Amino acid sequence: MYGIIAFFRRHYFAVLFVVLEFLSLTFVFKDNYYHQAGFFNSANSVAGSFYKTYNDITSYFNLKSENTQLHEENMRLHNNLAAIPDTTKHPKVAHDNLYGQQFNFISAEVIDNSTNQVNNYITLNVGKNQGLTEGMGVISPSGIVGVVIGVSDHYAVVMSMLHKNYQLSAMLKKGGAFGTITWKGDDSRYALLSQIPMSEQVNPGDTIISSGYSTVYPKGVTVGVVEKVEPIPTQYFYTIKIRLSTNFKKLGFVYVVSDIMKKEKEELENNVHNANNGK
Amino acid sequence: MINEWAKNIARFFVFLFIQVLILKHIDVSRFINPFLYVIFILMLPIRTSKAWVMIIAFATGLTIDMFYNTMGYNAAACVFMAYCRPAVLKFYAPKGEYDTSAKPTIQSMGLPWMLSYAGTMVFLHHLVLFYLEVFSFHSFFTTLGIVIVSGITTVGLIMLSQLIMQRRRI
Repeated sequence: MYGIIAFFRRHYFAVLFVVLEFLSLTFVFKDNYYHQAGFFNSANSVAGSFYKTYNDITSYFNLKSENTQLHEENMRLHNNLAAIPDTTKHPKVAHDNLYGQQFNFISAEVIDNSTNQVNNYITLNVGKNQGLTEGMGVISPSGIVGVVIGVSDHYAVVMSMLHKNYQLSAMLKKGGAFGTITWKGDDSRYALLSQIPMSEQVNPGDTIISSGYSTVYPKGVTVGVVEKVEPIPTQYFYTIKIRLSTNFKKLGFVYVVSDIMKKEKEELENNVHNANNGK
Repeated sequence: MINEWAKNIARFFVFLFIQVLILKHIDVSRFINPFLYVIFILMLPIRTSKAWVMIIAFATGLTIDMFYNTMGYNAAACVFMAYCRPAVLKFYAPKGEYDTSAKPTIQSMGLPWMLSYAGTMVFLHHLVLFYLEVFSFHSFFTTLGIVIVSGITTVGLIMLSQLIMQRRRI
């Protein structure tokens, strides 16, 4: 017993180091996907309200570019609206409400954002009280932004597309080939599209959109345009450098995508899971 | 003594704000990513017990992590840096011992001492932080480049901050 006490007395500094370093590293490796801890991120009330106050002051400087962006988005939506044929004249078309609307959009303001880290995060001024949950997608007027990974009552933390763990199922608008989008940690303007087979025709300037395979984003949200196409000689896939359509350095207002049918889907999955376990 | 405490606490908040409001958003190049807040740990009085320095470093790192959403990364780097601090101080100790009134500043110890002390400590901190963030040796030399360039930027900012503080006598 005295031996143990003597040991700790002599080596207390090393012991303290091991304990604190172990604790830190536990946080690091637990952190890798969802913020389960929930407190030690910028969605907590201290960091959240701090960033919000700061943003309330500085956001005025971006009003001009914010306005331009919104105006462009309005124009695009007007064009889309005009392109939809008037279905009221065809009463025989079946309207199914369930499939009428699958996604709901919640407006949010970016109160903190970084682009120069290896792993970038965004803090939003909406949280649980506005109906946000983990796993919801975030899009900007110009394209995809990221996915919600932590929520508190009034704030949310979003894993930016500029994050080494971020993955997005995307497709070529023309041709419809599927691939995966990742970010290599270098430039906030570009990302990588992989797993597009070399049998596909891909040209610089082609548009990339979200595939809609997950419930995170609706199908057809713009991701970016093809910048450079490189075939990998030993494999049968292209590596495509794409220019992201979202300007991450100037994020102002964004939309959080809420999948109305997500709950139904999860309940169904749980029921099936439970039924299987019950056997 | 109370004065010294107040100064340290003020320093903590000032450099925390500078870090999360300004330096976090500097986006010149991804190689320039300074972490000036470590100056707070560097400038803790030399006689502060090493265990206290480590606990304070851990808390500081966690606070920065909270604002950066990098749970544990800065804490790990700061704890490692605090663990090395006694050895670094000993290594750069002037002939004999540190004066009882000695402070880790340019004013008290001179520019060469401060440069080598800050340089070593910042390098240790950045090494842990950036390699932990990448967590692969895939881009070993790029990360090393980031460590060195960001480290030089951090040390430069530390020197600048000390000169400003010296003039203002804080």
